[in-house]
Amino acid sequence: MSSPTDISSPAELSPAGAEEAQGAEPFGLGGSALRNDALPKALGIYPYAADLWAEGLLWGAVLRSPHPHARIVAIDTTPALALPGVHAVVTAADLPLGPEGIPDGAPSGPIVADRPILASGVVRHHGEPVAAVAADHPDTARLAAASIRVEYELLEVVTDPEQSFNVPPLHPEGNLFRHLPLRTGDPEAVGEIIVEGLYQVGRQDPAPLGAEAGLAVPRPDGGVELHLSSTDPHGDRDRTAACLGLEPDRVRLVVTGVPGATTDREDLSFQVTLALLALRTGRPVKMTLTREESFHAHTSRHPALLRYRHHADAEGRLVKVEAQILLDGGAYADVSAEALAAAAAFSVGPYVCPNVFVDAWAVRTNNPPAGRMRGEGALQTCFAYESQLDQLAAQLGVDPLEIRRRNAMATGDPMPTGQAVTCPAPVAALLDAIADSPLPALPLDDPEADWLLPGGPGGAGDPAAVRRGIGYALGMVHMLGAEGEDEVSTATVRVSGDHATVICAAVDSGQGFATLARQIVQSVLGVSEVYIAPVDSDQSAAGPSARGRHTWVSGGAVERAALMVRHQLLQPIAANFGMSVELLTIADGKISSYDGVLGMPVSEALEGKELWATAQCRPHPTEPLDESGQGDAFVSIAFCAMRAVVDVDIELGAVRVVDVTVAQDVGRALNPRQIEDRIEAAVAQSIGLALLEDLRTEGGRILNPSLTGYRLPTALDTPDVRIAALLEERDVVATFGAKAVSAVPAVVAPAAVAAAVRAATGLPVGRLPILPEDATVG
Amino acid sequence: MLPASLDEAVEALAATPGAVPVAGATDLMEAVNAGRLRPAALIGLGRITELRGWRYEDGGTAVLGAGLTHARMDRPDFAALIPALADAARTAGPPQIRNVGTLGGNIATAAPAGDTLPVLTVLEATATLARAGGTREVPISHLLTGLDPLRPGELLTWVRVPLLHAPQVFLKATGRSGPARASASVALVLDPARRAVRCAVGAVAPVPLRPLEAEAWVAGCIDWDARGEEGAALIDPAAAAAFGEYVAGACIPDGALDGPEGAGALAARLRRTVSVLARRALGRALK
Repeated sequence: MSSPTDISSPAELSPAGAEEAQGAEPFGLGGSALRNDALPKALGIYPYAADLWAEGLLWGAVLRSPHPHARIVAIDTTPALALPGVHAVVTAADLPLGPEGIPDGAPSGPIVADRPILASGVVRHHGEPVAAVAADHPDTARLAAASIRVEYELLEVVTDPEQSFNVPPLHPEGNLFRHLPLRTGDPEAVGEIIVEGLYQVGRQDPAPLGAEAGLAVPRPDGGVELHLSSTDPHGDRDRTAACLGLEPDRVRLVVTGVPGATTDREDLSFQVTLALLALRTGRPVKMTLTREESFHAHTSRHPALLRYRHHADAEGRLVKVEAQILLDGGAYADVSAEALAAAAAFSVGPYVCPNVFVDAWAVRTNNPPAGRMRGEGALQTCFAYESQLDQLAAQLGVDPLEIRRRNAMATGDPMPTGQAVTCPAPVAALLDAIADSPLPALPLDDPEADWLLPGGPGGAGDPAAVRRGIGYALGMVHMLGAEGEDEVSTATVRVSGDHATVICAAVDSGQGFATLARQIVQSVLGVSEVYIAPVDSDQSAAGPSARGRHTWVSGGAVERAALMVRHQLLQPIAANFGMSVELLTIADGKISSYDGVLGMPVSEALEGKELWATAQCRPHPTEPLDESGQGDAFVSIAFCAMRAVVDVDIELGAVRVVDVTVAQDVGRALNPRQIEDRIEAAVAQSIGLALLEDLRTEGGRILNPSLTGYRLPTALDTPDVRIAALLEERDVVATFGAKAVSAVPAVVAPAAVAAAVRAATGLPVGRLPILPEDATVG
Repeated sequence: MLPASLDEAVEALAATPGAVPVAGATDLMEAVNAGRLRPAALIGLGRITELRGWRYEDGGTAVLGAGLTHARMDRPDFAALIPALADAARTAGPPQIRNVGTLGGNIATAAPAGDTLPVLTVLEATATLARAGGTREVPISHLLTGLDPLRPGELLTWVRVPLLHAPQVFLKATGRSGPARASASVALVLDPARRAVRCAVGAVAPVPLRPLEAEAWVAGCIDWDARGEEGAALIDPAAAAAFGEYVAGACIPDGALDGPEGAGALAARLRRTVSVLARRALGRALK
């Protein structure tokens, strides 16, 4: 199924199975190299940001708004300043003034600069930072922050996104982050069969196991050095500098160990406040958020309300899809406009439909702000369109797999945005792979022996009330920034003696980029010792760790730099033998010529040399979606098919996911083990969204900001994840032909679980997470 | 303070008003860290080894140390003795919690969803409260309801559980497979000597509830003489189902169903859950 036709890089020539033959550590691309940080993390010696220390440091603490919407009438910081040990108290008044010469909290944001660092005048969500303190002990800092007197005048709280259209603006920028109409085909088209549905997705929190932490150190030049687990060091540096009124080169961001990130890792308010406290006191300041604060500080997934109407002909082929999609962006814009583009563009899913009429809105409310999170936008619509396809199958009396086969998209088919899918779209092959995969056995003969019932071991499960259901889902998500975003990354590769160093500001947020970079250099240069330099913002920019972009853009930059070094290495040897560089290959740590005359170990050729090169990678440009949602907005798209098997205790509504089988379009498997890890992680996270995770709010207040109240999946909630197939149909324009792997399984899993619960219970299942009351029959 | 013996502990408690005894600290330190609790002093009970074990007394009673951990209660020797308490301990949380969380702590915290509480209630266990110069015995249910609460200077030391040597069951509904707080739980024991069924419902009210009328009614529906016979049906399935409804109706009164829309639906759902749990618990006990 793989067709290596794209780039004839030396990587292609390195046999993938060579390392197994040698019985050594996996080497190069295609091998299952172990993650660099796997052992330190397992052994507990991996340094996280919370472990940072500097001589004479102060501790920071933040005062947050207890109200979701209120006017700040007055702030009295004197009680805090009167406490012994308090060195500084800052509020919005300490940040650079706004354009009108009045404090505005230095608003910032990835798309619209609407989110103040410290609230100025108005607080718009529960937990919004209002003031911050630096003191010589963390308890003193917290007590001081709590002693600050803030007088609030409560304002009407808008929590229903549907209300957002009809209320006065909650912010000078208005309540509508974006309205994206998508229109293609004939609006009058009508199908023989019409199915309608209303779907709801709750608020999932990234709930990173390591809460936010960082250290700011003032610099003699008036700048500041920030040690943070940032996943976008240059973006964070630029925004921090802008909020502080400094030149970007006065802020240096040093990336510490990242304790896993499936979203933007740090919120800007945290780091700017930290930097401000350090600048104000002239001393290093450290801040670690409590778990409760962490839930308030970072952005969550967009809750969504989706209304769908599918028209199909008598055979179940889609005729028209109409949809209204509403994303609750919370109090600030963040990346809502981007998430909305994905929601609208992928509103039909990996299916062909000639007539599509969608209206999508992202709006402001007084709920916690929503932001980036694996497959933002695409996940919410996947649940809706897959639920619709199941309804259609049920109405027609057709197998759910068959209805998907009849409509499946293939390479070259148009999306509703008018963009043709030029990358491989092996949707039908993915479906076949999961359909052919064997089902887990139902332990009928000995029901209680090995059967982990819903409710868990020692739980209340009763085999007589347990029903098994099987559900299928397909989904898609784009990679890289969309709609004209300039995607670029820079990397430097240096070879000195027998080892190589990669300098690239792409943060390994858990996606495994450091491991991949090592494999790339090993493949291109035949060097086994590859060191990945720590990341800081003095290096050239590589962009954020998001949207599966680093394999492509930063992997591409590393490959190019390594190829340039390779050329420098081989040129003199080739000249010596009177042949061109192209006739030499590097494999198994040896340089050999096409005719076998030359067989020189790489280490010998490198002896005493230091070679280095810097290169950039910039994929082809995209364009914004126009006023009817049309345009070539995406660089490439990844697809995934999934089958979920669930057991439901239909009397108690307890659901256990027994098995998830995945077939994924990966382009090329650069590290099969890491791909499987990423798929498992995505499935686990999405099973959390499907069954457990919901950051609940009442009147805008977060009700469960703790890991007791916010239920994350444990090993017992997480099923066996089996990989039916990793389809390697190379994407000719992508680096190594590989596609991003982390987001698309997260997009599809909730839909698959919902389909399986539907099959088990016969209930409609229109909202996520699926609570016991949604899975109780009768 | 880290007293090495029970006597030292009660003396320390008497000497330091406002001091809080702490064992596993799974609830207490969470409250301290969150700033909800600022105890004047802590008295660590970890070094009082005698409280960490259990023993028999008079052949018919097990005396359990307040420092018995959930993990210890889950072990087979203990499970053979008081199976329902072992079941409750096993499902009380993740291993990290069960390794340090104690029986005494569960009683002292008296959280509505405390898993051991309905079991202790249904077993009609009593607590020994020690103070400087003396001890007294209080039924667990009196302690929990506040009928006879822990007084200043008193330390919960032992829990006396009458042994029944008959089937006993603890079931909890959580809606997930991993460890979780119960949305409702049911403890049910048979007392064949008295031909009685005892049942307690946890997590639906501030304290475990005993549906006494339902207990008495269902005891009359059971064919006690057929116990031990191979394959004998001890109760009509319809009676078991009715028992479930009876228990649920007693624990979640009709008034709750007429609450505001959301609350009423929640109560109806809780009633259904309790009914299913009670029916299943009886079924398992009579199997």
